[in-house]
Amino acid sequence: MTINTAFMIQTFLDVLAGIPVTLELTFITLLVSFPIAFFMALQKLEKKKFSGKIVSGYVSFIRGTPVVLQILFLYSLLPTILNYFIKEVLNLDVDIFALNPIIYAFVVFSLNTIAVLTEVFRSALLTVEHGQLEAALAIGLNKRQAYARIIIPQAVVFALPNLCNATINLMKSTSLAFMMTVKDITAIAKVNAAYGYNYIEAYLVISVLYIILCTVVQFGYGAVERYFSLYKRISTN
Amino acid sequence: MLEIRNVYKAFGNNQVLNGVDLKVNKGDIIVILGPSGSGKTTFLRTINFLEKADKGTIDFDDIHTELQSASHKTINKIRKKTAFVFQNYNLFANKTALENVTEGLIVARKVPKEEAIKRAKDALDKVGLSERYDYYPSQLSGGQQQRVGIARAIAVNPDVLLFDEPTSALDPELIGEVLSVMKKLAKEGATMIVVTHEMSFAQEVASRVVFMDGGVVVEEGTAKQIFTAPKEKRTEQFLRRIVRDYDYVI
Amino acid sequence: MRPFHPAYIFEVLPQLFPYIGVTIAVTFGTVLGGGLIGLLLAAAKIKRGRIAKILVNTYVYLTRCIPSIVMLFIVYYGLPELLMVFGIDINNVHKAFFVITTFSILFAANMSEVFRSAYEAVDKGQREAAISIGMSEFQAFRRILLPQCTVYAIPNFANALVNLIKEGSLAYTIGLIDIMGKGQLIIGLNMGSYSLETYLSLFLLYWILTIISEKSLKLLEKRLLQGKKILHTAG
Repeated sequence: MTINTAFMIQTFLDVLAGIPVTLELTFITLLVSFPIAFFMALQKLEKKKFSGKIVSGYVSFIRGTPVVLQILFLYSLLPTILNYFIKEVLNLDVDIFALNPIIYAFVVFSLNTIAVLTEVFRSALLTVEHGQLEAALAIGLNKRQAYARIIIPQAVVFALPNLCNATINLMKSTSLAFMMTVKDITAIAKVNAAYGYNYIEAYLVISVLYIILCTVVQFGYGAVERYFSLYKRISTN
Repeated sequence: MLEIRNVYKAFGNNQVLNGVDLKVNKGDIIVILGPSGSGKTTFLRTINFLEKADKGTIDFDDIHTELQSASHKTINKIRKKTAFVFQNYNLFANKTALENVTEGLIVARKVPKEEAIKRAKDALDKVGLSERYDYYPSQLSGGQQQRVGIARAIAVNPDVLLFDEPTSALDPELIGEVLSVMKKLAKEGATMIVVTHEMSFAQEVASRVVFMDGGVVVEEGTAKQIFTAPKEKRTEQFLRRIVRDYDYVI
Repeated sequence: MRPFHPAYIFEVLPQLFPYIGVTIAVTFGTVLGGGLIGLLLAAAKIKRGRIAKILVNTYVYLTRCIPSIVMLFIVYYGLPELLMVFGIDINNVHKAFFVITTFSILFAANMSEVFRSAYEAVDKGQREAAISIGMSEFQAFRRILLPQCTVYAIPNFANALVNLIKEGSLAYTIGLIDIMGKGQLIIGLNMGSYSLETYLSLFLLYWILTIISEKSLKLLEKRLLQGKKILHTAG
């Protein structure tokens, strides 16, 4: 077994160009999914409501099927739908097949992440004791104020560890973006590797890169957690 | 000042309240006694709309409404005239002692911040916590937490204070500090409705004692009447049992 | 718009059915392999010293950060060459071997945490009480601790299992013919037409698989809780 170190260094330099793509995919997806998932979590908490049932079904479906399948399905569906919509409905002359495929990646990963975050938010909201809401109402806050000032700030703290997990899982999922011809870290490594059959070297290099990115994300969440959980940290001292 | 009539409430098949009436005058200290499951806590919670009654009416000064169909606006009005002290304190975990007290003033009643802080500090001083403004609930003992809970309730100058077994979650050695704060408030003329098992409190400060069982008011009268000459057999049985337990505690 | 034939979804299904066995076998193999390694890792972390703990933590940390597909490629391309150094030729070994190896490595990390947290969730007094009435360490573990641990571990295990089934679908990228692989073959044979319909039948199969796994484990948990009245006081 021989390891081609020169190739590894070259690949490392090449895949650096993919880091912004991987980060973009991760964080823009999170940003888009966040408010939608929060709204959906509130719906899901009201089980009797019809909207709550729809949300439950959606979450169950997305979380019960592989991401790779969601990617393959939407990547063969979205372009044709978009094409039809632009050509036939809007009557525009746009070549949608020249669009940056990252758009499809955003759609797929957001649809997936919304379901994941809905569960994260729902369980975090459930963790806040019911008495907190009662006390807020009893001193005259309305439901919106109670949620904004008492329930959500506490739920955020409970949600952070799961949010961190969700972010890492999302970042790992973006490694499948190459299936939509998006040039992220994994896609670049794959191209480099195929050229001279240096698969092991290429994938070892990006493993290290993913570990570094993952570490940065965890540090970030650690800092946020320390900031938010002042009242909790004190109790553990 | 406050009159609640004919309150019914069921949880599923379990009929908890079977037509409860209560009349409260300004300055009354009403202690509600009764075995567990008698509906006393549920009744207290319906007054503040923490529990929605199935039936019943409330007259609070010039407000009159059916309990089961009160509008949001009316509910809010009544909540602003009352304050609730919870059995397990329910202090906001993400707020300091001071913030717990100012929250209802600033957010719900639009009191200017400066004034709210001043009023909150006065309230905390009154319950003996002038050294603990910036402590989070998790840094306070149970007795201190409950005193913050009381400060939170009195800071909004409510017409009626509602206490739901305020000492039953406390260790025996911490009960005294909370009771003495409540006695102080009673002497200053606050109007209070108190659900409790603390017989000493009832004997010492209650202007009226209400005994509930099976979702109805069985008997009511002055503390002296109820404790020395109960008319109803159920009251007598309950008192004999609880006073004996009470002796054990001592 | 491209044509869409919903009826084809149900035409494809019977062609996929025979391969459910492969998907389940790979999952089962991984649960066994990964579960066993996970158990060893958890035991090392609980019972051995500081160094073992650091090593296990590092293992869990690193595997948590690497995407499954990258790990799959590393094992698929790297393991044969690595073993060749020791004179072992696995170039003709079935693809399922690489899939099970890859996912065992990843699943073990998950399971070590599942086992450890379940073990720690059981009150220490339980062991002490068992020993105080004359049970041996093994008896205490077998009769008192293990049944309680199992109940605690089920929800997290269910999560890990569902993830495994989903991630396992990546096996087609190295050429394993499970339901996903068969689906891709069918799409290839049809020159790409009916791809949406084929994907939808795959969605259906995976969704059913994950729901069955989740529900049956939930049922098991409920039965353990009710039948033996374990942890009844905890609630």
